[in-house]
Amino acid sequence: MIKMEKVTKVFKGDVVALRDVTIDIGKGEFVFLVGPSGSGKSTFIRLLNREDVPEHGRIYVAGRDIGSLSGWRVPFLRRNIGYVFQDFKLLQKKTVAENVAFALEVIGKGPQVINRQVPAILELVGLSRKMDRFPQELSGGEQQRVSIARAFVNRPLILLADEPTGNLDPTTSVGIMRLLERINEIGTTVVMATHDRSIVDSMRQRVVELDRGMVVRDQARGVYE
Amino acid sequence: MFSFRYVMRETGQNLWRNILLAVATVVTVGVSLAMFGGFMLFQVAVDSATARWQDGVELIVWMNADADTDEDSSVRNQLDESPGVQRWEYVDREESYEEFREFFEDTPEVLDIFTAEGVPPYYRVVPTDPDPDVVEELGSQFKGKPGVRTVTFAGDVIRDVQNLSNRAGRVLFVGSIILLGASTLLILNTLAVAISNRRTEIEIMRLVGATKWFIRVPFMLEGLVQGLFGAVVAMISNALLRTYVIDQFSDADGLQLLAGFKVDDAAMLRVNLLVVAIAVGVAVIGSNLAVAMHLNE
Repeated sequence: MIKMEKVTKVFKGDVVALRDVTIDIGKGEFVFLVGPSGSGKSTFIRLLNREDVPEHGRIYVAGRDIGSLSGWRVPFLRRNIGYVFQDFKLLQKKTVAENVAFALEVIGKGPQVINRQVPAILELVGLSRKMDRFPQELSGGEQQRVSIARAFVNRPLILLADEPTGNLDPTTSVGIMRLLERINEIGTTVVMATHDRSIVDSMRQRVVELDRGMVVRDQARGVYE
Repeated sequence: MFSFRYVMRETGQNLWRNILLAVATVVTVGVSLAMFGGFMLFQVAVDSATARWQDGVELIVWMNADADTDEDSSVRNQLDESPGVQRWEYVDREESYEEFREFFEDTPEVLDIFTAEGVPPYYRVVPTDPDPDVVEELGSQFKGKPGVRTVTFAGDVIRDVQNLSNRAGRVLFVGSIILLGASTLLILNTLAVAISNRRTEIEIMRLVGATKWFIRVPFMLEGLVQGLFGAVVAMISNALLRTYVIDQFSDADGLQLLAGFKVDDAAMLRVNLLVVAIAVGVAVIGSNLAVAMHLNE
């Protein structure tokens, strides 16, 4: 599903964010990206979404070399990739249902699709009864569920999550991880950058550790360290 | 793949969120276009009032309405041979009557008195030297010739009107260009604020796969709406200017010189279409600059 071949990303001032990274992530895998701050986790995720392009190497998503995609095709790539933010990024003036519907509306889906898919995804994340609430009326965990619902409503092949539990307490984090696990069980490939040791240790999924832009460990059913 | 309802809703919301800035932009666009429209209308009116005296014409040799061919040929020969004449143009009876009708179209009682037969043809003469004394000397050569009714000169008043109009026109034109530049920047700034207010939405749109144009169009439409509202302000101003200023000049008793100082419907339509076209141009430039500078899709 995701393949990186000798990928190097250098930022201004010769700061090397990723160095010669080669990795293969299969369909339906759940992968934790771990490592200290500045190790290249966020850059890894941004490259998969074509928010950045590498200086060297190739990246394939669903068999397609995304580095060679012309600009107008990038939005269509992103429709196959859900994105979950650490800080939720919900629109405060829209209700829960409107926040989720927004993701479908802006890719041109009509009311019929929206009316069918939004309640279904809110059911999946357990927020059916709060669909008319506004984000400020929800707890942090609930807000992150809305963010996940928005990322998954279009049924993407891949879900990228950048520290999705970073702003949540441990109990709430467990709930969010259960949800991501469920989405993964449906067949979605999940790549999650995290600092949360207890979560990584309890889930026993594949762990890719980055340090100064290099992959220093790639372990199936691994632990944080 | 554009949802019309979505685009209209987003454009409306953008305008409403920045309503004060949007109003300021509309007023600035409106004032600058009104100045431009005013400049155009005055030019049209002055051209209309001094139509016979355009392009360096300093004297007119009016023939009798019943002048015969020999008399006419004699005047032509003299115009051709005179070293003081740079060029001349003959306006025949039909054209002259047409001009006359246009000139007095608002006063049918005058039109009723004359028919085409009663209106004299004339020669518009451009002298080699526009010095008033030389022109007068040239004109006197034609006065009293058989078939010649009279000779009229552009005179100081016509020249003053044209000069004043040119000078006032230049000030209005330069002022309106400066204000149009400011309008473009104001539209750019309004859209920059709108884009900044919606940066979270834009980031989400980008990441869920909205196309570049889907993100851009509501902002560009916002600029266009501001430009078009500005054009409406300017068109209202043009209508008021025509009714309460220009038409008042032409109606004023005793101001014979300004009898032709008017703007007809066709000219008004041309000026208004130009105003709309400039408004669209300003909006398109401002919007494109704003999305290019501030919208990182």
